[in-house]
Amino acid sequence: MTGFLLRRLGGAVFVLLSLTVVLYAVFYVAPGDVAQIACGPRCSPAQVAQVTAQLRLDDPVYTQYLHFLQGIVAGRDFSTGTGVEHCSAPCLGVSYQSDQQVMRLILTKLPVTGSLVIGAFALWILLGVGTGVLSAWRRGRITERLLTWLTLAGTATPVFVIGLLLIIIFCSTLQWLPSPTYVPFTENPEQWAWGLLLPWVSLALIESAKYARLTRSSMLETLAEDHVRTFRAYGVSERGIIGRHALRGALAPVIALSALDFGTMFGGAVLTESLFGIPGIGRELVHAVKVVDLPVVVGMVLVTGFFVVLANAVADMLYALADRRVVLS
Amino acid sequence: MSEALLVQEAGAAPAAAPASGARQFWRRLRAQRAATVAAAVVLLLFLAALAAPLLAALAGQDPDTYHPGLVDSAAGGVPVGSFGGISADHWFGVEPQTGRDLFARVVYGARVSLGVAVVATVLQVTIGVTVGLAAALGSRLLDQVLSRITDINVALPLMVIALGLLAIVPSSFPRPVLIALVIGGINWAGTSKIVRAQALALKSLDFVSAARLSGRGRWSIARRELLPSLAAPVITYAALLFPVNITVEAALSFLGVGIKPPTPSWGQMLTEADTWYQSAPTYLLLPAGLLFVTVLALTVLGEGVRTALDPRAASRLRIGTGREERQERTKERAS
Amino acid sequence: MSQPSVIPRRVATTAAVILVLVAGLAGCAGPRSDDGGGSGGGSGASGKPRKGGTLTVLNSNPQEDFDPARLYTSGGGNVPSLVFRTLTTRNREDGAAGAQVVPDLATSLGTPSKNATVWTYTLKDGLKYEDGTAITSADIKYGIERSFAAELSGGAPYLRDWLIGGADYQGPYKDKKGLDSIEVPDDRTIVFHLNKPEGEFPFLATQTQTTPVPRAKDTGTTYEEHPVSSGPYKVVSNENDGERLVLERNPHWSAKTDEERKAYPDRIDVRSGLDSAVINQRLSASQGADAAAVTTDTNLGPAELAKVSSDKKLAARVGTGHFGYTNYIAFNPKVKPFDNPKVRQAISYAVDRSSVINAAGGSSLAEPATTYLPNQKSFGHTPYDHFPAGETGNAAKAKELLKEAGYAKGLTVTLTHSNDKDFETSPEIATALQAALKKAGITVELKGLEGNDYSDTIHSAAKEPGFFLAHWGADWPSGGPFLAPIFDGRQIVKDGANFNTGFLDDPSVNKEIDEINKLTDLEAAAQRWGALDKKIGEKALTVPLFHPVYKRLFGQDVKNVVISDWTGVLDISQVAVK
Repeated sequence: MTGFLLRRLGGAVFVLLSLTVVLYAVFYVAPGDVAQIACGPRCSPAQVAQVTAQLRLDDPVYTQYLHFLQGIVAGRDFSTGTGVEHCSAPCLGVSYQSDQQVMRLILTKLPVTGSLVIGAFALWILLGVGTGVLSAWRRGRITERLLTWLTLAGTATPVFVIGLLLIIIFCSTLQWLPSPTYVPFTENPEQWAWGLLLPWVSLALIESAKYARLTRSSMLETLAEDHVRTFRAYGVSERGIIGRHALRGALAPVIALSALDFGTMFGGAVLTESLFGIPGIGRELVHAVKVVDLPVVVGMVLVTGFFVVLANAVADMLYALADRRVVLS
Repeated sequence: MSEALLVQEAGAAPAAAPASGARQFWRRLRAQRAATVAAAVVLLLFLAALAAPLLAALAGQDPDTYHPGLVDSAAGGVPVGSFGGISADHWFGVEPQTGRDLFARVVYGARVSLGVAVVATVLQVTIGVTVGLAAALGSRLLDQVLSRITDINVALPLMVIALGLLAIVPSSFPRPVLIALVIGGINWAGTSKIVRAQALALKSLDFVSAARLSGRGRWSIARRELLPSLAAPVITYAALLFPVNITVEAALSFLGVGIKPPTPSWGQMLTEADTWYQSAPTYLLLPAGLLFVTVLALTVLGEGVRTALDPRAASRLRIGTGREERQERTKERAS
Repeated sequence: MSQPSVIPRRVATTAAVILVLVAGLAGCAGPRSDDGGGSGGGSGASGKPRKGGTLTVLNSNPQEDFDPARLYTSGGGNVPSLVFRTLTTRNREDGAAGAQVVPDLATSLGTPSKNATVWTYTLKDGLKYEDGTAITSADIKYGIERSFAAELSGGAPYLRDWLIGGADYQGPYKDKKGLDSIEVPDDRTIVFHLNKPEGEFPFLATQTQTTPVPRAKDTGTTYEEHPVSSGPYKVVSNENDGERLVLERNPHWSAKTDEERKAYPDRIDVRSGLDSAVINQRLSASQGADAAAVTTDTNLGPAELAKVSSDKKLAARVGTGHFGYTNYIAFNPKVKPFDNPKVRQAISYAVDRSSVINAAGGSSLAEPATTYLPNQKSFGHTPYDHFPAGETGNAAKAKELLKEAGYAKGLTVTLTHSNDKDFETSPEIATALQAALKKAGITVELKGLEGNDYSDTIHSAAKEPGFFLAHWGADWPSGGPFLAPIFDGRQIVKDGANFNTGFLDDPSVNKEIDEINKLTDLEAAAQRWGALDKKIGEKALTVPLFHPVYKRLFGQDVKNVVISDWTGVLDISQVAVK
C-alpha cells in the first residue's frame, strides 16, 4: 500500500509539473500584451516598460517559471510600493491584473464551487443510485423502460440546455424560484440553498444518469450470480436480496466513480458556473484566461489538476477496499 | 479515468472475441427497434446537413439575409408575430434583432455541429489507437512515457487549454477546423487507455502468442491480429464519444470561444439565444431541442452498436441492458 | 476612453465574463427628451427623500480597483465618489445640467493663470478624513504623485501628459523628492504647473487621482482594501477584492462642506460578481432588501425590452440616460484601398444604420450617429451628415463612388472586430455591416479577435488593420478628450498604445486643438470643438454608427433618481431609500 501511494504521489507531481509547463508555454505565446493590460489602456510606452519591470515580465520565460516553482516551495516576497508583502509557501504568485495573491483568490472561490459541487453531489448520488435500484428491482417492467429512457435523456443533454430549460420553467414561466445566485452559507443558509437549487438540480440530473446505469448494471450482474439464486431458493424476499446483496455489490464501482467525479467537478464546473453566474473557480478561470492573467490560470489549473489526480488515487483505493479482488499495483 | 476502473472495464469487455461478421452486426443492430429509429434520425440529420443549401433554397431563404422589417426595433428587436415570427416564408421563425431566417440557420448550423464532431472523433480515435497500441506493444520505457503523457492529457482542463489555443491561433485559420483539432487533440486519453488495456489483455491470448511464435514482427501482429479484435471496443467507444464531441463544440461556442458569427452552429445559436428565453422562447428552444434530439439519437445508436457488437448482449436486445454499460464513462469534462 | 458603465448581457459565458452585457430596458418606456439630454426614466417611489436605511447595490463587476490612484473614471465614478472627494466634481443634476463641473474639496473651479498653464486651488475649511484629521493640500499632491507609480497604474493619461515633468516621473516610492510641478505653499493651497495651456483642467480635477491620500496611511497596492475616506461614507468591510463592499456613514464628513452628495442612506451594501440576468431579475422582482436596490453597472439588454415594455409598473422603474459615447467604423488610411478617400466615402454611404442599431439592441438602446462627437450640448455637438446614407444606406451612391475609385466590379475588404459580446465592437455589429455593404457590391470578410488581442491590434501603429470597429467614451463631457486623442497628430504613438487610428496629422487641426485648449470659457470651447468635429468629419476617417442609450432598473423603494448626461446612469450619491 505504501509503495502504491508513493508511486502515485510521484506520478501526480510529475503530471502536475508537466501541466504547468504546458500552460506556461501556451500562454507565453498567447497574444495580448500583459503589461499593457495591467497598466491600463492609455499607458505610455515608458509606463508599460515600468510595469513590465515591476512584474518581472522582462525575465526570460524559464526564469519566470523557476521563480514560480521557488514560490511553491519557499514562498516569495512582493513589493507593494510602500513595503513588502510576503506570500508564504505554497505561493502560487500574485495576479498581474488585480494584485491579489492567487492562493487567496482560490481560497475565496473554493467555498463557492464547493457549495455547488457538494449539493449537486448529494443530489446526484441519491437520485442516481435510487433510480438504478428501482430499475433493477422493476426489471423487465414498464417502470424500468421508462427509467432507462429518462437516464438516457439525462446523459444526452448538455448541462447548459437543462439549466436554461429549468430557468425558463421555474424562474420565468412559473416564477416559483428566484434567478439562481450565490449567497454564502455563512450569511444566510436558506438563501444559499434556494439560490443554488437550480444549479444543483441541473448538474444532478445529468450526473445521476451515469450512476443510475452503473448501479443498475452492477446489480443485475450480482443478481445473476449463483449465490443469489440460492438465497431465492431459501425464500429470501426480493426486497431483501436487492437491499442486502445486490446493492452491496454495486457499491464498489459507484463509490470509485463518485470520488472521481467529485474531484473532477471542482475544476470542471465551468459551464454550470457560467450559465448560472456563480462566481466560483470555473468562472474565475475563464476570466483569467481571457485577460492573460498567467499566475491565476496556472495556479487554478494546478489546484484543480491536483483535485483530479487526488480523486483518481482515492478512487483506486476505495475501489480496492470495496472490492478485494482488485490488487493495487 | 481511474486505472482500476478501466482495467476492470477492459476485463469485462469481450477481449477474446474477434470481430464477428459485418452481416451479423447489421442483423443485431436492426433487431433493436430504438436503435433503428435512432439510426434513421441520425441519417436524416446528416442528410439535412449535407443538403443544407438545397433545403434553404427550397424554403426560399438563406442564412445571412437580414429582414429588419420582421423585428420590432423599439422593443429590442423581438420578432414580429407569434412564436418567434413563424410564417409560410419563415418556417422556424426569424432571429431577434436581425430577422435572419432560422430554418436556414439551423440546417447550415447542423453542418458545422456535426462536421466538427465527426472530425474530432476521427482524430481522437486515431491518436488514441496509435498511442494505446504503441504503449502496449512498445518497450517498457515507451509504455511509461506514453502512459504519463496520457495522464497529463487526462488532467488537462479542456476548456482552459481550448480557450488558450483558440486565442493563440490566428483567426485566418478556419474556425470549425481549429475547434475540431482542439477537441480531438485534447480529448483522446480515454481511447488510448482502453486500447492499451485491451491490447495488453489480447497479447497474452493464444492466437496472438501463436502469431508471435511464428516470428512475425510487432506491428504486423498489431495490424493483422490486434486491430480486428480491437474494432469492437473502439467502435463502441467512438460511438459514445461522438455525441460528447457535439456537446463539447456547443459548450465551447456557448462559452464564446467556439464558432464565430456569422457561421451558425447550434451551440453558437444557443449562446445568442440565451438572453431571449423570456421574450422569444422559440429562438432558444430550436437549437436546444435539436441538440437534445441529436445527442439522444446518437447515444441510443451508440448503445445499439455496442449491443450489436457484443455477442453476450445479443440475447437481450434492449437499450441499456447489459453489464457493459460501465464502459460509457467517457471523459465528460464538459460539465 | 473611460468606460464607467458595464453593459450587461447575459454573461453566459465566462467568456463573456469580461464582457458585461450592455443593455437596456425597453424602449417604450422611459420618456426620451428631445434635447438629446438624458432623462430620468422614472422617479421611483414618491414622497420626499429622507435619511436612513440601507441601499443595496447589485453589480456585475467587483470593485477590484478601489484605490483612487488606479481608478479610471469619468467624473469620479459612482461608488468611489461616495468615499473619495476630489478637487472638483460633476454637478449632480438630471440631464444636461449634470454635465457641468462644480467645486468639491476646492472653493472654486480653480484660478487659471492668464494663459491657463498654472491652476491654483484653495481648499474649503473644515475638511476631515474619517479619522477626524484634517485634509491638507499636501495629501492631494501625494495622492496625485502616487498615481504615477508603476504599482498603481491604471488611471487616465492627462496628469502625465499635462504636468511639467509628468512624463518622466515614476511616483513617490521610487522618487522621494516628488513632482515639482505641484506646489503646496500652505495647507489649503495647491498649484499645478502645466506644460501647455489647458482650459479644461477643472474637468480633469474631477478624477479620483485628486483625492487626498494621507502619506502615513499609504500601504501601496494594499491601500485599496481600506482607503481612507474623505467622503460621506467609509469602508467598513471589503471582501474578496471588492466583491462585497459595506460602506457606513463617515461621522467626520460634513454636509456643510459638500453640496453635491446627498448621502441619504445610512449604509451602502455593494454586492458584485452577479450575473447580469440575475441583477435585472432581482431588481424587477424588487423583494426584500432588493426593493431598496440599484445597480451601477448593469444595463437592460435587448432581450429584456419586450418584457419590461409590456409592464407599466416595471417601466416606471427604469432610468434612461445618455453617456457621451460613440461607436464607429475606423479606417487606417495607410492600408489600401482605404488610402483612397472615395472608398472611405463609399462605405460611409453604404452603411445601414437601422440594421446596426437593431444589432445593438434596437432603437430604444441606440441612437443613430452621423457625428463623431456625442449628441449632447456639453460636447458642442454640431449636427452634420457629410455622406448621407439615410436610414438603410445609399447603395447606389456608394457604387458610383467605388466606380470613380476604380472598383467598378466591386471590392473585397476585411473588417476587424472584437469577439467580446458587448454589442459595440462585437460580431453582431460586424455581421450587420457585412450584410449592408453587400448591397453596394462590397464583399466584407470578418476577422474577429479576442478582447486583448483586439485592443492590442487596433492600437498598434504597426499592426493596425485598415477597416475595423471601434468606440470611444468621454473622460469628461467635452470635445477635448473626445477629439484630441484620436485626431491630434502629436498624439500618434509609434511604439505603444496609439489612439490616433487614422494617423491624422493635419497642422490646421493640431493648431485649432491648441487654440481651443487655451480657452477657459468652457461654453465657447464647446462650440469650437463642435465645429472642429464637423471639419474633421469631411475626411471620412471614421463612420459614426450609433450612440448608446442606457436603461437600468431600480427597486421600488428607491427615491430621488438623478441621471446626468455626464454619466448617463443613476447617481448613487443622490438616491434615498426612505
